[in-house]
Amino acid sequence: MTAPQNAPAEHSEGGIVVRNVSRAFGQVHAVRDASLDAKPGTVTALIGPNGSGKTTLLLMLASLLRPDAGSIQVCGVDPSIDPLAVRASLGWMPDILGSWSVLTVRSALETTGRLYRMDRRTAAARASELLDLVGLTALATQRTGVLSRGQKQKLSLARALVHDPSVLLLDEPASGLDPVARLDLQRLVRRLAGDGKTILVSSHVLAELDEMADDAVYLEAGVTASADRIAKSKSSSRQWRIRSRDLSGLRASLASTGIAQADILEDRGELLIPLDGDAAAEELLRSLVTSGAPISAFSPAVGELEHTFLDLSRGGAVADPPADGARS
Amino acid sequence: MKNFLLGAGVVFSLEMRQRVRGVALYVLLGVFFLLILIVTAILASVLFSSGAATNQQSGASAFSTIIYFVLLLGTLVAPALSGNAINGDREAGTLATTQVTLVSSWQIVFGKFLASWVTALAFLAVSVPFLIFSMVVGVAPLTVIVSILVLAVELGIVAAIGVGLSGVIPRPLFSIVVTYLVIAMLSIGTLIGFSLGGLLIESPTTTRVYSSTQSDADGNSIHCTYSQTDRGRAPRVDYVWGILVANPYVLLADAVPTTVDSHGNLTDLFGFIKYAERSAQIPPQLHTTRNDCSLGQDDSQQYRETIDSTTPGWLVGLILQLVLAGAALAGAGLKLTTPAGRLSKGSRVA
Repeated sequence: MTAPQNAPAEHSEGGIVVRNVSRAFGQVHAVRDASLDAKPGTVTALIGPNGSGKTTLLLMLASLLRPDAGSIQVCGVDPSIDPLAVRASLGWMPDILGSWSVLTVRSALETTGRLYRMDRRTAAARASELLDLVGLTALATQRTGVLSRGQKQKLSLARALVHDPSVLLLDEPASGLDPVARLDLQRLVRRLAGDGKTILVSSHVLAELDEMADDAVYLEAGVTASADRIAKSKSSSRQWRIRSRDLSGLRASLASTGIAQADILEDRGELLIPLDGDAAAEELLRSLVTSGAPISAFSPAVGELEHTFLDLSRGGAVADPPADGARS
Repeated sequence: MKNFLLGAGVVFSLEMRQRVRGVALYVLLGVFFLLILIVTAILASVLFSSGAATNQQSGASAFSTIIYFVLLLGTLVAPALSGNAINGDREAGTLATTQVTLVSSWQIVFGKFLASWVTALAFLAVSVPFLIFSMVVGVAPLTVIVSILVLAVELGIVAAIGVGLSGVIPRPLFSIVVTYLVIAMLSIGTLIGFSLGGLLIESPTTTRVYSSTQSDADGNSIHCTYSQTDRGRAPRVDYVWGILVANPYVLLADAVPTTVDSHGNLTDLFGFIKYAERSAQIPPQLHTTRNDCSLGQDDSQQYRETIDSTTPGWLVGLILQLVLAGAALAGAGLKLTTPAGRLSKGSRVA
């Protein structure tokens, strides 16, 4: 989980490179200054609260929106200059679930293949593969209009994969999925990354991103957080959760390691302790075990992404003063 | 070019499948058929019972109204079929997923236009039996054939305007209404525009009048002299006739070959409209002479001469309509071009 720290300005081998991109809709500056790198073979999480500009940024990457300023490279190509080349190598799963409602699931996928200039036979074969891949084979002859939200989500993912793109943009891919489907999605995304694809996943459900993302990009109020700020947030104080059969014994052991009683919170039969960084956690665990406290679980109370995200949000100053909003 | 048509073809077939599988289309086709059936039946019963149908002339004249009725219904139905082709997709969330594939905005617009046109042609196909019936009861075959061609083209024009506006205007309801307004402008607005043009643009006229100063016992003039000059104003509809021919009904009438009977009289409704429109092209004579001594002169109407000497109005009207339709489609194509620069207020790309 490392943010791009020493990212080269350009790497032509593929992936996504975004530098200082901004986009306004009238008076609303949806994206003010976004920079990110997503490398082939990795899953990059795009994290930000609602309205932070995630979807706008993805639309610009998908060659649908023109940035007001800044540069974008998808597989080494600028979507504003050669959108067709970008589209040929890019799969986009939008956050809204539109589908041709009277078409069957299979023919919707075949039609998408045809729109990607496949011939009839190739498109049909690819549709069958994808139905299998996302687990919609049983629903292949249903009209897409009758699908549930989760099923539409799967169809939308399959559609993004029709032309076997090397870059995938997934906008909230897991919303509406049941836990099993969510797990399937995670496995599929990991597998696609293993095949060398560049994957950018946006979400505000951080726990699920924790499971599959290698890198993370934090976006707030249209500005991506710098690597320095992220590093600082990661080392800041966070809650750890300790489970024990003997809470009073645990409290005593904690007191002996020098942790103030006032800092200890009790939550659903477990204790929450604030610690500064992983080193502090290692030290505490070692001394607790040595002291013979009965511990059955010792883990961060919130996921890595969530912690960083919340810390950045609380920091408040992620967004620089919008002086550069008018950059041209 | 081949690639363009391939991509547009995929959009076309997608669009057709979505339309053909809807129930609404068949209900509309049924209603359409019924309406024309009713009108034709009423016309037939009135004409046959009065024995007028034996008179071929009145038969032809009456049954050419069936063709107008088909045009009326067709132009009323077509905007509903095409007026939300693009912004409806945007609302359904399927436009952006198409735009992000390898088809261009022009292929999307063209494919959708073609699908709307073909759907509208289904309505023309439903009305063909009635048009053939009108031929059987006395309308000239050439009239019917040309009418069908013109009807097909007019439906295409309406489809193009509808699809184009649905790309330019974000809200489906609004774009359908505007399409109807454009049709109303062409069907009724052109008549109003033409009349207002005639009222606004006038030229002064002078008429030198010669009167009788001496008559014989029978009252016939034997001596005429100049008596006065009358001044007046003549409407210059010859400047604004172009507005008139953009009217689909006038255009259709003008395109139909004129048929005259053995006396040189016009036989059907189209002929009268065509003659009136062609006459409007001829500049009025501003300086004329009137001789009151020789009243009652034969002022026979030279239909053939007028029609043959004037510009084919249908061609001018068609060019005007094609420019309008082309502009609408071009506007939609530009609006759909991605990556998008400006967006209209309140609209989303996806």
